[in-house]
Amino acid sequence: MDLQFTPDELAFRAEVRQWVAENLPKDLSHKVFNSLRLTEDDTRRWARILGSKGWLGYGWPKEFGGPGWTAVQKHLFEEECALAGAPRIMPFGPVMVAPVIMAFGTPEQHKRFLPGIASGEVWWSQGYSEPGSGSDLASLKTRAERQGDHYIVNGQKTWTTMGQYGEWIFCLVRTSTEGKPQTGISFLLIDMKSPGITVRPIITLDGEHEVNEVFFDNVKVPAENLIGEENKGWTYAKHLLSHERTNIADVNRAKRELERVKRIARQEGVLDDSRFRDQVAQLEVEIVALEMLVLRVLSAEKSGKNSLDIAGLLKIRGSEIQQRFSELMMLAAGPYALPYEHEALAAAGWQGEFAHAAVVAPLAGTYFNMRKTTIYGGSNEVQRNIVAQTLLA
Amino acid sequence: MDFDFNDDQISLRDAVAKWVEKGFDFSRRHAIAKAGGKTRDVYNQLAELGLTGLAVPEAHGGLGFGAVEAMVVMEELGRGLVNAPYAAGALVAPALLAAAPEAVQAEWLPKIASAEALVVLAHQERNARYRLNHVSTTATQSGNGWTLSGQKGVVPAADEADAFIVPARISGAADATGGIGLFLVTQGAAGATVKGYPTQDGARAGELKLANTPATLITAEGFEVLEKAVDIGIAAACAEGVGAMDKMVAITVDYMNTRKQFGVTLSTFQALRHKIADVKMQQELGRSMSYYASLKLGEPAPQRRRAISQAKVQLGQSVRFVGQQCTQIHGGIGVTDEYISSHYFKRLTVLEMAYGDTLHHLGEVSARMTDTAGVFA
Repeated sequence: MDLQFTPDELAFRAEVRQWVAENLPKDLSHKVFNSLRLTEDDTRRWARILGSKGWLGYGWPKEFGGPGWTAVQKHLFEEECALAGAPRIMPFGPVMVAPVIMAFGTPEQHKRFLPGIASGEVWWSQGYSEPGSGSDLASLKTRAERQGDHYIVNGQKTWTTMGQYGEWIFCLVRTSTEGKPQTGISFLLIDMKSPGITVRPIITLDGEHEVNEVFFDNVKVPAENLIGEENKGWTYAKHLLSHERTNIADVNRAKRELERVKRIARQEGVLDDSRFRDQVAQLEVEIVALEMLVLRVLSAEKSGKNSLDIAGLLKIRGSEIQQRFSELMMLAAGPYALPYEHEALAAAGWQGEFAHAAVVAPLAGTYFNMRKTTIYGGSNEVQRNIVAQTLLA
Repeated sequence: MDFDFNDDQISLRDAVAKWVEKGFDFSRRHAIAKAGGKTRDVYNQLAELGLTGLAVPEAHGGLGFGAVEAMVVMEELGRGLVNAPYAAGALVAPALLAAAPEAVQAEWLPKIASAEALVVLAHQERNARYRLNHVSTTATQSGNGWTLSGQKGVVPAADEADAFIVPARISGAADATGGIGLFLVTQGAAGATVKGYPTQDGARAGELKLANTPATLITAEGFEVLEKAVDIGIAAACAEGVGAMDKMVAITVDYMNTRKQFGVTLSTFQALRHKIADVKMQQELGRSMSYYASLKLGEPAPQRRRAISQAKVQLGQSVRFVGQQCTQIHGGIGVTDEYISSHYFKRLTVLEMAYGDTLHHLGEVSARMTDTAGVFA
């Protein structure tokens, strides 16, 4: 039992910290620290910078060109990036599809797809959810019919995050209607420039364009883009989840945002109001407890123990905490959280009509945006079902 | 960063668990509670296992073990719902005596290690609530010695203890942190009267009245030692809570898997499945913060106190939630005296209030807030 990182881990952290400090463009961290909108170029820029260092695929093993870091090193890397205000790595390519391609793809598929993901050149999207299949993902209906050396794909995906920039999309598609719903699903990689694909924006409650609908109308996909075997896609998708992904808790971001809650509350004069301050203190306790939970999962991974029973808690708690810090930030801003200043999100240096406008204008939007966290990735109610399953007969 | 227990710690855990299985079943707990909560014979049995010497330095006849070993023992005592003033006598008292002159240590620590003496901290006063600095019991120097006057309340095992460690004011205002001395008062000393009573969880406590009672000085500036010892007590309460929650959840899960209503087991109802998932969350957040508390005990005072209060807030909320919800899931049987889970509930409730309840410690976290936060902040 020991709370401290090893000297090697601390040295690793120092190395990452220094590199991030030297390579993270200040205009990007400024946007992140203030919840300003990141453009397509912003996200691509940081992805390419990480890619050139070989750190975009930071979870990859060495045999696929990754750094081969331990679970603790990955955690420390995520922490350093988050605390420095780096834009989030879009997970769809390097974190989500790449491990599936590595585990189940052919050597040709490795050569074809992994380099573009590692370098940050190719933007991937995720095609899982459908209008009729949210938490009940296995009920998905988008069809892929084999015709010679192609599949013909028809259907619709939705909630496609940043799909407006996507060059490729990995999809779960139905290739069979026999047996259980899970057994007729295949994992298909689709070039988003293919004829028959239409991407339409969904504007969320904060007025932002973050998610999309993607329509497939007789889209021709080469059979060589199938990952693994037909009708085994569900297994491959689950493989993704079977890796304990402590970053789902987003605890490092929560630590950064808690500091911001305190800054805003101090500036708005409520940090010394005990009714408000105690709520910040409560959130602080919750964040430390979440971080300890994350560290326990990492420690279990290090010693090769199964900790899935607690790993299942991370998404629930992490998402609740994200909602909580965004809520406290909005409340700290008080009445000045209410003006809807859409242009405030775009421009660094925008000052607005009233004092502190640049600081407080994005807060209510962030609060509204964060409602998604307890819904996506398997709603928290579905997560509770999964936790209960590990406990009960 | 490693949360695995080593082989010695696992052996220690097994030894305590084995004793609990053989020596402390529910009927024994029940009988103790019915008889008024006296537990000295339980305490003596823990001594036979060597546990009362756990925190006493080897030079004074103890084992000189650390915070993680104490945590392991407390988890198992909590799991077994063992009724004995173990944390008070074997963990908190030696931490207070560490500040005593060598002769006082040499006189008392070996007796604590062997359980020949049960020494408990008597620090709570009527108007102090959970503030350690609010001390109105007075200490007066008379000749070569000291006498104390005042009253201390809810002293654990008061009428079974052999001696008390009493914070008393030598100088300063009632809330000053300076001028608080720590003294040792023996049971039956002149002017000392004890009125014992049972507590809600089937244990025992009492009121200690002191009137010009002769006392041995441990240290004249004892506030920081008192804080440290109380922090050790808090970490112990957290660990005991973890063990007790583990068992109460296990009992509840068993009940859900077997109890039938509407022709099916309770485990089939989603409302209850979600409830037990929320219970699991609080249980694991509690365990995480119990580890945090024990692993932070060696830090400098400002970091240690903040961490301990953070842990006590989480544990307070965890034990309350787990206790209440597991009682609810049980339905009627959960609120009966004959069923074990109600006894876990009562013990968990007492632990929330031990050494400061959740609101008190939330206030401490609030007062100690800095710009950054996190496990390593």
